[in-house]
Amino acid sequence: MTLNNVWIITDNQNAVGELCGGGRQLGAQVSVVLFGDQNQAKEAIASGADKVFLFEQPENSVMIEAYSKSIAELLRTEKADLAMVYSSIRGKLMAGRIAAQLATSALAISELKVEDGRIITRRMVYGGAAMRTEKTLSETVVVTVGTGVFEAGPKDETRQGTVTAVNPNVASDGIRVLETRPKQGEVVNLSAAKRVVGVGRGFSAKEDLKMAEELAALIGAEMGCSRPIAEGEKWMSKERYIGVSGVFLKADIYVSLGVSGQIQHMVGANPSKTLVAINKDKNAPVFKQADIGLVGDIYHVLPQIIAKLKAQK
Amino acid sequence: MRVISCCKAVPEEQDIVVAKDRQISFEKAEWKFGQYDLNAVEAGKQLVEAAGGQLSGLCAGGNILDNSKMKKDILSRGLDDLYLVIDESLEQADTYQSARVLEAAIKKIGDFDLVLCGAGSSDLYAQQVGNQLGELLGIPVVNAVNRIMPQGDKVIVERALENEIQVLEITLPAVLSVTSEINVPRIPGMKDIIAANKKPVTKFTLSEIEVTNSLPSSTVLSTLAPEQAERRLTILEGESEDIVDAFVKLLRAELK
Ligand SMILES: Cc1cc2nc3c(=O)[nH]c(=O)nc-3n(C[C@H](O)[C@H](O)[C@H](O)COP(=O)(O)OP(=O)(O)OC[C@H]3O[C@@H](n4cnc5c(N)ncnc54)[C@H](O)[C@@H]3O)c2cc1C
Repeated sequence: MTLNNVWIITDNQNAVGELCGGGRQLGAQVSVVLFGDQNQAKEAIASGADKVFLFEQPENSVMIEAYSKSIAELLRTEKADLAMVYSSIRGKLMAGRIAAQLATSALAISELKVEDGRIITRRMVYGGAAMRTEKTLSETVVVTVGTGVFEAGPKDETRQGTVTAVNPNVASDGIRVLETRPKQGEVVNLSAAKRVVGVGRGFSAKEDLKMAEELAALIGAEMGCSRPIAEGEKWMSKERYIGVSGVFLKADIYVSLGVSGQIQHMVGANPSKTLVAINKDKNAPVFKQADIGLVGDIYHVLPQIIAKLKAQK
Repeated sequence: MRVISCCKAVPEEQDIVVAKDRQISFEKAEWKFGQYDLNAVEAGKQLVEAAGGQLSGLCAGGNILDNSKMKKDILSRGLDDLYLVIDESLEQADTYQSARVLEAAIKKIGDFDLVLCGAGSSDLYAQQVGNQLGELLGIPVVNAVNRIMPQGDKVIVERALENEIQVLEITLPAVLSVTSEINVPRIPGMKDIIAANKKPVTKFTLSEIEVTNSLPSSTVLSTLAPEQAERRLTILEGESEDIVDAFVKLLRAELK
């Protein structure tokens, strides 16, 4: 049994395919809220949407999140059973605000299915130490969904659907956008890397990461890190931190250097086939989940390892 | 500026015990405050240091909040005073229920300019309580805040989106959830720990803040540890040439 009315809300057009794919599996009717143009609406219909609600880009000083109230109103009048919001930062804020309007929670889910007309969700809890399965009780269930949860179906350019332009009178909500500037991001896809070398706070200075980079170059690996290296130290970009709130690896081999191996990190490392760890503390949790480990100081053993790998090239 | 930083008491996730049937137990777990809530306390402290004012802590949770070590811990991190809403049922609260309770407590506390939340709680990390709280209070609300600059009755904030930085002007009062990058929380010194003993603590029950019951959004069917991959656990120990040699051999074999 499927749901009657599934809604999708996304500020990122790249998410439309997967979310519509999921929507088609779960619901009889799929409605999509977009903040873009007619072409994007067409793409949503080809991907499985029956109805598209095209919210006009608000004027520059207004955030799209200001539409949250109007969207909640729409979900209520259209009797949505499920609202799946793309889990971008703006999406999360919208999801929380919309859910509050609808007197319910917003769940960040990694799986969702319908059983006996009820929505069953799964999400990671306790830093990835457990998966929680829940049966939802709300009239309209609000969830945030990232990429990789659903599969996009084939696009069908002949599919028919309706496009409704919505131009609500938004109040600025007391927030004015003064400026938007690009962030110097980095394009890396660590989850596609076959070999990864990951660094943790065992490194005491940014220059020292050169050792890790040298090892990575020798074995043809991408560089990754723990969250504190990206966020606290800001030595590497956030696209490179591995773990429950970062990247999930699918590598053949992951070599961690000076990473303690706390659950939040290991959850992202675990899908890798082989785990290798170097840490100077033999009781570090990383050794409980390693295939190969070396208890030693990276500052002593890494130069030797690099020299040996070079010599045998 | 009157700032309220929200914090959640959570079990230490490293102390989780997984049973054979993959059930998890917190019986042996220490309790602490969420790692990322400390960023909200530190951000509040920095604002009050720069612009003057008062920083309060607000926690909603079970009886663990009444533990003197817990209270002292959070007070020693720069709070002027602490408000606790204590009820065992709050241990199971979902994001909407938590936001409702915090909303009622904040109304009870009275005037404020800014409510700060962390990036997400250390246990469930739904990242939604701040967003929902702002909406319930009907005031400006923003997540992923990376920088806060006071400016009269407004604040200018930087918000880190995926590929861009938004600079926002926000009318107070407002609710902001800060990132874990916004600052490095200071480590309390001996003086802070001693001073924490003298700071006022106000305890509320649910009925004192007059929060009406809201139904849970879901029922939990199960909470289970994932299947663990078997690992070989070949751990070598030492830094001698022989040991490193053996390690490199093992590593090379994996790289074939
Ligand atoms: C909600 C939440 C989500 C989180 N999400 C993530 C996530 O997605 N990814 C993530 O990584 N973390 C995450 N964390 C943080 C996580 O809990 C840990 O704090 C973090 O992974 C620790 O990073 P680390 O191993 O680099 O540092 P530490 O834990 O400080 O470990 C450093 C290690 O280096 C070793 N060491 C020190 N010097 C040397 C040396 N000279 N040679 C060899 N070894 C040395 C030490 O023995 C120690 O084991 C999250 C936390 C929370 C609360």
